[in-house]
Amino acid sequence: MYEAMTASVTASMPVSESAYGFTQTDIEGQALFSLPFGDIVNFLTPYTAVLFVFALTFTIIALISKPERQVDTVMGGDAYYTKDISRETLRFQRFMAIACGLATMGGIMAGDVFNFTLFTAFIGITNIGIVAAVKNKHILDNAFEYGLLAMIGTLPLFVGAALVLATTGTLSMWILFTPEVAVPLFAKLLLVIGVIAEGMAPVFVAKAEITRAPGAPYILMVHVSSLLIFLRVIEIVISM
Amino acid sequence: MQLIIRKVSRILQNHNNLTAVYALVVIIVAAIGLISIAAGEITFEKDQLYPKTINPDSPLNPYDRGGSPFVPADIKAQYPGNFPAIGYITGYLSPFATALIKISPYFGTTIVAHPGGILDEILYATRGLDTIVETSILFVAFTTAMFLFRRDEE
Repeated sequence: MYEAMTASVTASMPVSESAYGFTQTDIEGQALFSLPFGDIVNFLTPYTAVLFVFALTFTIIALISKPERQVDTVMGGDAYYTKDISRETLRFQRFMAIACGLATMGGIMAGDVFNFTLFTAFIGITNIGIVAAVKNKHILDNAFEYGLLAMIGTLPLFVGAALVLATTGTLSMWILFTPEVAVPLFAKLLLVIGVIAEGMAPVFVAKAEITRAPGAPYILMVHVSSLLIFLRVIEIVISM
Repeated sequence: MQLIIRKVSRILQNHNNLTAVYALVVIIVAAIGLISIAAGEITFEKDQLYPKTINPDSPLNPYDRGGSPFVPADIKAQYPGNFPAIGYITGYLSPFATALIKISPYFGTTIVAHPGGILDEILYATRGLDTIVETSILFVAFTTAMFLFRRDEE
């Protein structure tokens, strides 16, 4: 069974025949395929497959495109200036954007609660890297605040995963998504507020400068990753 | 009502307040959790997937998960079928580590710390993807620190 699965990881596998016994959940349907790494068995469902394609598309865009150059006009005059992005900043931001895209894809595919929280923390770190590379006082101020948020956010995030393990005895979503296993509301709440901080939701609320930083499409990776990881955590919390 | 909305949005629009507001939310959720623990809604599941027992008499204490070289240890896994060689990794010890065991019963940490010592099966094999992601996070964090540190040199 193991050899057969590793040989055809990309082939779609009907769940009734899989070794993990996945059951139908409310919003995402049956698993399309599974990718086992020991106890961590990643999977894609029709719902997460859509998110995965989004993440993949934006990662490829970040990989091949050149950055935008924002133009500022001076109020009351004809003058304008273009914000230039240095070669070093470009290379660093592109690296971080690709890492962020890979982390997002990992988080979307995660079939294990602790693995999911790790990928979420990964997204938080790469987001800090992307925005901290912009040399602008206001943006760096925001990036500092966001860094603090992400640091605080890891506490509820990992406590949530630890509580899931303590109260159910397992971390695998294949088992947690079955109706027999009940995850306490507190653990779900902790997971959600942890992801809220890592996905920089409070920064969007304040309409902070960070969300309009120059350097698209690399900056856009921040928005894409946070949006996709929110969609994923909501799916996890509803299914658990 | 309008006054309250105005007051709340004045606090939220200032990004310097974000950390405090978020910390408040964490405190509220933690309070809910403490109440639900006190109410007995959250209970510890006895049947844990990754049990850990400590044997103070073992020279590998506290890292002993059982097994000896080429004899598999009894390791619990969620999907044992995904890992046919289960139990062999934690059981293996290099000849040097085996010699250390005979010298003193207090070298457990030293044996883990040197190359060829105990490899925790759960940490590095059955849940190995977690360890890979953890090191990737560290790598990316150091890359960011390096970039920010060296940017001012030019």
